[in-house]
Amino acid sequence: MADPVIQVRDLKWRYEGSREWVLKGIDLDIHQGEFVGIVGPNDSGKTTLAMCLNGLIPNNYPGVMEGRVIVDGMDTREHSVAEIAESVGFVFPDPESQFLSMTVEEEVVFALENRELPKEEIEERMRWALELTKIPEDYLEKPPYELSGGEKQRVAIASVLAMRPKIIILDEPTSMLDPIGKTEVIEVLTEMKRRYNATVIVIEHRLEDIAPLADKMVLVYHGTVRKVAPPREFFQGVDFLLEHDVFPPDVMVLANELRKRGLYDGPVPMTLEEAEQMVREIVGGVG
Amino acid sequence: MVEAIRVENVTYIYPDGTVGLRDASLRVEEGEFLAFIGQNGSGKTTLSKNIAGLLKPTKGDVWVFGRNTKEVPMSELATMVGYIFQNPDHQLFNQTVYDEIAYGPRNLKLPEEEVEERVREAMEIVGLDESYRDEHPFFLSKGLRQRVAIASILAMRPKVIIVDEPTTGQDFRQSIDIMDFLTMLNREHGHTIIIITHDMPIVAKYAERTVAMAGGRIILDGPTRWVFSQSEILAQANIKPPQVTRLAQRLTDLDFPPDVLSVEEMACLIEQRARGGA
Repeated sequence: MADPVIQVRDLKWRYEGSREWVLKGIDLDIHQGEFVGIVGPNDSGKTTLAMCLNGLIPNNYPGVMEGRVIVDGMDTREHSVAEIAESVGFVFPDPESQFLSMTVEEEVVFALENRELPKEEIEERMRWALELTKIPEDYLEKPPYELSGGEKQRVAIASVLAMRPKIIILDEPTSMLDPIGKTEVIEVLTEMKRRYNATVIVIEHRLEDIAPLADKMVLVYHGTVRKVAPPREFFQGVDFLLEHDVFPPDVMVLANELRKRGLYDGPVPMTLEEAEQMVREIVGGVG
Repeated sequence: MVEAIRVENVTYIYPDGTVGLRDASLRVEEGEFLAFIGQNGSGKTTLSKNIAGLLKPTKGDVWVFGRNTKEVPMSELATMVGYIFQNPDHQLFNQTVYDEIAYGPRNLKLPEEEVEERVREAMEIVGLDESYRDEHPFFLSKGLRQRVAIASILAMRPKVIIVDEPTTGQDFRQSIDIMDFLTMLNREHGHTIIIITHDMPIVAKYAERTVAMAGGRIILDGPTRWVFSQSEILAQANIKPPQVTRLAQRLTDLDFPPDVLSVEEMACLIEQRARGGA
């Protein structure tokens, strides 16, 4: 296998003025094209880890770092945030916190114009990003603040996609949205997985939606990585996840319960469809 | 049974002309635990604020313990219904935790000994250690700020407590802690609890009764189990029941009921069918 596009080696970090390490020795490899879900309870270091991957830490935050983070060949201690941003796009939980422009169009092309790309290429990348995030053409002149929460987050994602970064990190992209907005953003993630061969890293509590998309799941707990595995293996250990304050989707907890009752011995279902199949086999098989 | 709240044919129109609530009617008995569900803009917050007297009906009336919210002074209403905002920072504004919690009781012109007692009681119920008394609320963690916000409402000893999005931004463990705490207030202290939420698994686990809203109207109102079984009406309002409920609804041809609320319940139903004991 090729070298990982992200290599984290024994990473420790503590913010200035704090005695406690937020990250307590993290090792993690992520390969080009992987879709990675990062889960874990609040305040366990997920966002801090994400900021280490785009170089905001240690470049823009005072604190103490040990270990190494190599992103797309760049050691984050030796490269600026701007250089790392060429390879890594970042989407925040609150889309409004990252808007800079008065119209959707300006927002999406802002960084491209900064890079002085040719006009045709800017146009082409914008159309592609808008199409992938399902933002209609007639939204281009609208001010971002007039959009719904889900639309705002899709514009934020489009403006990151337009940069065509190798790596996209999304920090709880649905946490501030209502259910319709959450569904819209998950659909965009699904499209990204299907049509854009980037490395996608999502921090997310909505496991029901992320599990079927992920190639790899990472459990971060109290500043350490406790488990890294493909989703089916990751969610096989439901009790382990519950002990670490992660609540897997109902259908996985159900499979675990059925296993304890001696009724099921197969792989843990990822989706409602798979769970339906599981129940039909159990009920039909024995009777 | 004591009637806590009666909403009678209430329509609410915001100053900009937006219709927030259309002809809504609702009766709540003292001691109930309810959830208001629906998309943003469905009317659940408008309804809640009308119940708390923060908004007054454009048409119709809201009665709280038999008193019309249009006629009761706000200071008195605050002793009957407390409203806890989603973002605790929207309601915290004092310099110390003590002053924050004491603010309401002091407004009631209670003697300082009684204020002191209420603050101590409220801090104890929400599990805030005495040592936080003189801390500035803004230097506390979000979880602790939320506790301060709840304590400041409890110090008014309102019989009805409305909590807007108690679990948003919280992880699994924090959500369970908050909801167990509200359940304790409901069962042990007799508070009527209304939660406004998008979190359907939380509704299934904690609320006895659910009111679903869409377009400013109440579209379903009944036991949570029954509300989640109304899959077609919920789908029109873009409300997804919990995953385990949806699973059972896909299996009605095998005689699974459409109103399963928990994984445990579903596992038992599968076991009965698999072992042929049914």
